[in-house]
Amino acid sequence: MKRTSEESQSRLPDNSALKQQQLPAYWLQLTATGVLSGFFATGVFCLGVGIILILSAKSIKEIEIKYTKICGNCAKLREDATNFDKECTCSIPFYLSETMQGNVYMYYKLYGFYQNLYRYILSRSNSQLMGTDLKDVGTCAPFSKSHDGTPIAPCGAIANSIFNDTIILSYNLNSSIPIEVPMLRSGITWWTDKYVKFRNPRSKNLSIAFAGTTKPPSWAKPVYELDQEDPENNGFLNDDFIVWMRAAAFPTFKKLYRRLNRIQYFTEGLPAGLAYTVTGAVTWLAFFSMMAIHLMLKDRKMFFTEQ
Amino acid sequence: MSLTLLCLLAQTFYHLPSSQEEGAVHFPLGCQKVEEEMGWQQSLQESDASKVRTIYLNEPLRNSFCKNFISTAKYSIWSFLPRYLYLQFSKAANAFFLFITILQQIPDVSPTGKYTTLLPLVIILMVSGIKEIVEDYKRHMADKLVNTKTVIVLRENTWKTIMWKEVNVGDIVKASNGQFLPADMVLISSSEPQVTCYVATSNLDGETNLKIRQALSETAEMQTEKQLSSLSGKIECEGPNRHFNTFVGTLYLNDKSPVPIGPDQVLLRGTQLKNTQWILGIVVYTGFETKFMQNSIKLPLKRSNVEKVTNVQILVLFLLLLAMSLVSCVGAILWNEWYGEGIWYIRMKEYISHSLGFDLLVFIILYHNLIPISLLVTLEIVKYIQAMFINWDEDMHYRGNDVYAMARTSNLNEELGQVKYLFSDKTGTLTCNIMTFKKCTIAGIIYGNQSEKSDTDIRKLSLSPSVITESCEFNDPRLLYNFENGHPTKDYIKEFLTLLCVCHTVVPERDGNNIIYQASSPDEAALVKGMKNLGFVFTARTPTSVTIEVMGENFTFEILNILEFSSNRKRMSVIVRTPTGNLRLYCKGADTVIYERLSEDSRFMKETLTHLEYFAKEGLRTLCVAYADLSEEEYQQWLTQYRKASTVIKDRMQSLEECYENIEKKFLLLGATAIEDRLQARVPETITTLLKANIRIWVLTGDKQETAINIAYSCKLISAHMFRIQLNLNSLEATQQAITRHCEALGTQLSKENDLALIIDGETLKYVLHSEIKRSFLNLALSCRAVLCCRLSPLQKAEIVDLVKKHVGAITLAIGDGANDVGMIQMAHVGVGISGNEGMLATNNSDYAIAQFSYLEKLLLVHGAWNHFRVTKCILYCFYKNVVLYIIELWFAFVNGFSGQIIFEHWCISLYNVLFTSLPPFSLGIFEQCCSQKSLLAYPQLYKISQAGNTFNTKVFWFQCLNALIHSFILFWMPMKMLEHDMVLQGGYTTDYLFLGNFIYTYVVVTVCLKAGLETQSWNKFSHIAIWGSIIIWLVFFAIYSFVWPTIPIAPEMAGQVKMVLVCPYFWLGFFIVPIVCLTLNLIWKSIRNTCKRTLLEEVREMESSRAQRFHPTIFRKRVEAKKVQMFLATPPHEIVLQSESFDQSIPRGYAFSQVEQAVITQEELIRSYNTTKSKQDEVTMDSSHSRQK
Repeated sequence: MKRTSEESQSRLPDNSALKQQQLPAYWLQLTATGVLSGFFATGVFCLGVGIILILSAKSIKEIEIKYTKICGNCAKLREDATNFDKECTCSIPFYLSETMQGNVYMYYKLYGFYQNLYRYILSRSNSQLMGTDLKDVGTCAPFSKSHDGTPIAPCGAIANSIFNDTIILSYNLNSSIPIEVPMLRSGITWWTDKYVKFRNPRSKNLSIAFAGTTKPPSWAKPVYELDQEDPENNGFLNDDFIVWMRAAAFPTFKKLYRRLNRIQYFTEGLPAGLAYTVTGAVTWLAFFSMMAIHLMLKDRKMFFTEQ
Repeated sequence: MSLTLLCLLAQTFYHLPSSQEEGAVHFPLGCQKVEEEMGWQQSLQESDASKVRTIYLNEPLRNSFCKNFISTAKYSIWSFLPRYLYLQFSKAANAFFLFITILQQIPDVSPTGKYTTLLPLVIILMVSGIKEIVEDYKRHMADKLVNTKTVIVLRENTWKTIMWKEVNVGDIVKASNGQFLPADMVLISSSEPQVTCYVATSNLDGETNLKIRQALSETAEMQTEKQLSSLSGKIECEGPNRHFNTFVGTLYLNDKSPVPIGPDQVLLRGTQLKNTQWILGIVVYTGFETKFMQNSIKLPLKRSNVEKVTNVQILVLFLLLLAMSLVSCVGAILWNEWYGEGIWYIRMKEYISHSLGFDLLVFIILYHNLIPISLLVTLEIVKYIQAMFINWDEDMHYRGNDVYAMARTSNLNEELGQVKYLFSDKTGTLTCNIMTFKKCTIAGIIYGNQSEKSDTDIRKLSLSPSVITESCEFNDPRLLYNFENGHPTKDYIKEFLTLLCVCHTVVPERDGNNIIYQASSPDEAALVKGMKNLGFVFTARTPTSVTIEVMGENFTFEILNILEFSSNRKRMSVIVRTPTGNLRLYCKGADTVIYERLSEDSRFMKETLTHLEYFAKEGLRTLCVAYADLSEEEYQQWLTQYRKASTVIKDRMQSLEECYENIEKKFLLLGATAIEDRLQARVPETITTLLKANIRIWVLTGDKQETAINIAYSCKLISAHMFRIQLNLNSLEATQQAITRHCEALGTQLSKENDLALIIDGETLKYVLHSEIKRSFLNLALSCRAVLCCRLSPLQKAEIVDLVKKHVGAITLAIGDGANDVGMIQMAHVGVGISGNEGMLATNNSDYAIAQFSYLEKLLLVHGAWNHFRVTKCILYCFYKNVVLYIIELWFAFVNGFSGQIIFEHWCISLYNVLFTSLPPFSLGIFEQCCSQKSLLAYPQLYKISQAGNTFNTKVFWFQCLNALIHSFILFWMPMKMLEHDMVLQGGYTTDYLFLGNFIYTYVVVTVCLKAGLETQSWNKFSHIAIWGSIIIWLVFFAIYSFVWPTIPIAPEMAGQVKMVLVCPYFWLGFFIVPIVCLTLNLIWKSIRNTCKRTLLEEVREMESSRAQRFHPTIFRKRVEAKKVQMFLATPPHEIVLQSESFDQSIPRGYAFSQVEQAVITQEELIRSYNTTKSKQDEVTMDSSHSRQK
């Protein structure tokens, strides 16, 4: 590039370095020193990151409880499709050896459930979920309309196959009467989902708003009865519903179910030494043997936040 | 369906040469005779020509022929869209994407949305459409300029000025001196006596001498408007055709007998009127029917080697795409077998009814982007800009006449980097076609010798190939000193100079006080000019006399006879009556023929002979000069003989020559002249460099063997110690024997490079090219370092190029300046024309036009090598980036049950090629430099790398694909592992498939951009913009795109993604780690290769970049030299030690005389034109001074 300076004088003004292909340039040269030092620098960087990751992973506690087998009788009950409205519960006791400090989240985990199938992902109506046009069921096949032609709300395969087991975490303080651990049903969705992507039709009464539609065939109750206690969590705005509607990438996936309400005993997290019980109200889904629950307790004091 | 598609692809990708294309290789001029012999003429045109055209005089309504409007543009406003789309979709790749777009419209079949292929396709078509419009606009402007030129035409009995495009057949046109003629017309009358006119035809045939045309005596008096408008009758002539030298027509004037019209009466479009005040003509052909336009047939479409390989690779990718689709289909079937029962949630059973074909289409659409949609348009633009770099290059700017190099096509830029055989014309290409009188020997004394010193100085100066100075002419004051001061040889000097002033066919033309010499022979012009500088000025020529001015005194010599030059005779003589009244014969010619005819009284024979040898060694062209005194009765006797001979009908030339022989005897030797056929600046250096770059140079010339060898010596193509094999034979058997003998003599050295020069003439070549010995001749020729073919017809030039092109499979380049080179320029892979001379034909048919031969060095070694590296890198990179992204879809298919789901958002994927990764290919293709220009010129050996094409072949392609496969695997696998546990977000939120997709997509963009950076050897600001800019563009797009829904109803899945992705610490961890992991592999590979298998290129590059170079330049130079020696030793040149009579090593004689420089045909034609004018104008041809005097 020394040449540039030499020649620039002899050139006419319009013959820029660009036109003469004399632009100053840095020559990429793979010298031994360059490559090796880059190599070791990368190595050191990766090592550091690795150490941090391992340390942070240690501060996370996780308990996974599979209930497919333990609740086998429920699964058997569900194999007969006529029993779909019969309730079936089972309880699993477990103990925490260490306190779970910080935020605790409860997830459910499914094995071998292909939420990533092309036709499954396709089978939803975003405009219906926006609450603007409940009758828009264009891409929802094969769950777009019921036999009599009434549009389904929420339509599509994703909505139809919602996970609707009920999981309750309770503890026994010193009596045998289990006391429920306070859990929050809300705040488990992406902000955009709850406030942009999912909207209820504008109406004071949800059941009127959803008139003219029918519930998905596998649902026990219509969408406006998902959470009758909390209108902010009802209809399309139901958090469990919204979480389910984000299709997972892999056939084995977790979805956020509840988070710990840090009041009373639980301001610090889930204390150790208590006897816990997980009670699942397993409804129709249990006829799948691969069903499982995964109670994930997670300390959010991770390396990133560094509290 | 896909099978037919495949066939379609195969056909168009390969672009099988259609008959049309072959037919387009035309030799538009002069060689019509040859064409007829060879049966090359197309029947179509013959039938065209046989149609008779009748033109009615002064009856415009009855003449309806094509307009004189000319359009060389491809499109008009209305035809643009349909024609452009047709052209684009006839390209296989574009057709493929159109097909995909159509498929996507089928409901439910497309996993990537309906318009996601359409948009990039439209963008690409628009970009390439804009380029087409810009180019076509230029053509329209040029056409407009031509069409709106004005001309005076007789309309409604008055002269009117109209535009060229309004000229019709049958119009009477008046043209004045210096004007270009608007259409082909028949000359009616002119301002000159004997109704002649002169035209410059250099635009058509490249010949620089003026042609004379003469009107019919029947129309000669038609000059006034009245006379012209009262003309009635008709002209019948042949239909439009492309032969310049034929015209058959008949003029039927009312009340008169029909008169034949021949080519002598025809003035063609594109010619320029010279030395004539005005002419009148009747238009016979207009517009596209003119001979000029008929000859400007579209160039045959040339495709570069790289392009062909690329097409094959696209085809391979297409097959890969089919294979992947099939694998996925099979995967889908198996998966449905195993899991289909359990997938209750989408009622699998209802969907399984889809046929295999339907699934296949889904997967073809899913993977179709494996074929890089933007490759073609990227390459088009890249090459266009590369061509502009060639056009802009100041090093190839000839300041002499302000001509820049011009890339007339951008298709072949990378081909310039692969040239292996260079076919060069001699005259005007290696030489300037300027002869200068340099030296002479008179009466045994040599003159003009001491200028040697200044000569070398000039050589040094001329290193900058800008302007050729006129200063290296004869410059020896001793000559005039001897002449003026009564040296004993004074009389000889006077006679010598007088002879050179009188004995020639030059026509002087007065331009104010200057005299310009018009000559068909540059040698003669040089001699006459040289004499003028010595004070012997040839001032005027009349049909019967020549006037010269010596020291202010006029002498008039009566020219009695001109004994013409021919290549057999190798001499020309004139018989003159000197001012003192004596009869004298002056003769100049080759030493051999002159020496045969010397009388016993002749002196200085020995001295002159040694001087001749000396001249020859210098590479000068020599002529011997002698005279003979004739007695009156001797001459009269001969004159009767001559008259008899000149009326013989059969073999007139031969009997004339015999007759000449009788009087050309008993010569007295005066001396000899030495003329330098000046080489263009830096030709020897360029040839040396090109030879070092492993380019074989063949000189193909129409000129004589002697001249060609002379030039080959002076431009150092043949060195003195080289053995020469000469093939000058006149029968098939002899040729066959000679070739076999030489091949045997070479033995094992055959087909390897030997220090040999092969010299062959056109006659012998005729046998070689049309028989089975073709192959062995080629072997012999390939064993020689230099090949010289002399006396070739234009067609033979093309045939030789074709021979090498077909049988050797290497890239050929032909360079030439004249009309006779057009054939080979069109035939070779790359055709280069020398521009800036008057004849534009070679330039117009070439792919690249340069002003000087020496610019070839920069064109090939720098532009060629760079462009080759650039284009190949660009192509490989385009393949790489597509394979990386789209193979990920395949990996994802393994976890989603081969359902056809894509992991990315539709529009992200479709904008990948046109937005997020479109810049790096451009920066690679436009700005990449394998090493600096200085090094490329300093080490021509570097050219071998691109020449061998090792940077781009199937192996490299597969290697790149494999690399892309590994990268794509890493790019999928690492994020997959990162997100497998679903808990990466603060607040415990879980993610979805697109979250993973955005991770991967970002990493792909980063990796792919950085890979471009790794490929880039020379990082300039544009590389930075392209690489970092692309990454930033994606991130910005990602951010904006996540907020589009629901304001604009697209991409609901993307809503909110950016907020979640960018705040995720895992994302930023992967952002650094994943690309590093991918590229580390490449880096390691590169480093290993750089260490273990280092090439000269890397060595040079290191030397350039190393800082140490500034402190110890010698050390690095030594290292490079050592490397060079090493490379040199690997392929040592085979020294020939065999000594048989067939290998000639003596220095050839220096005789050379260019009476006719072009090919055989033009010589014939010229002689013919001498004959025709001779009968009308007594003796002298092209007698402009004569008419002027009157």
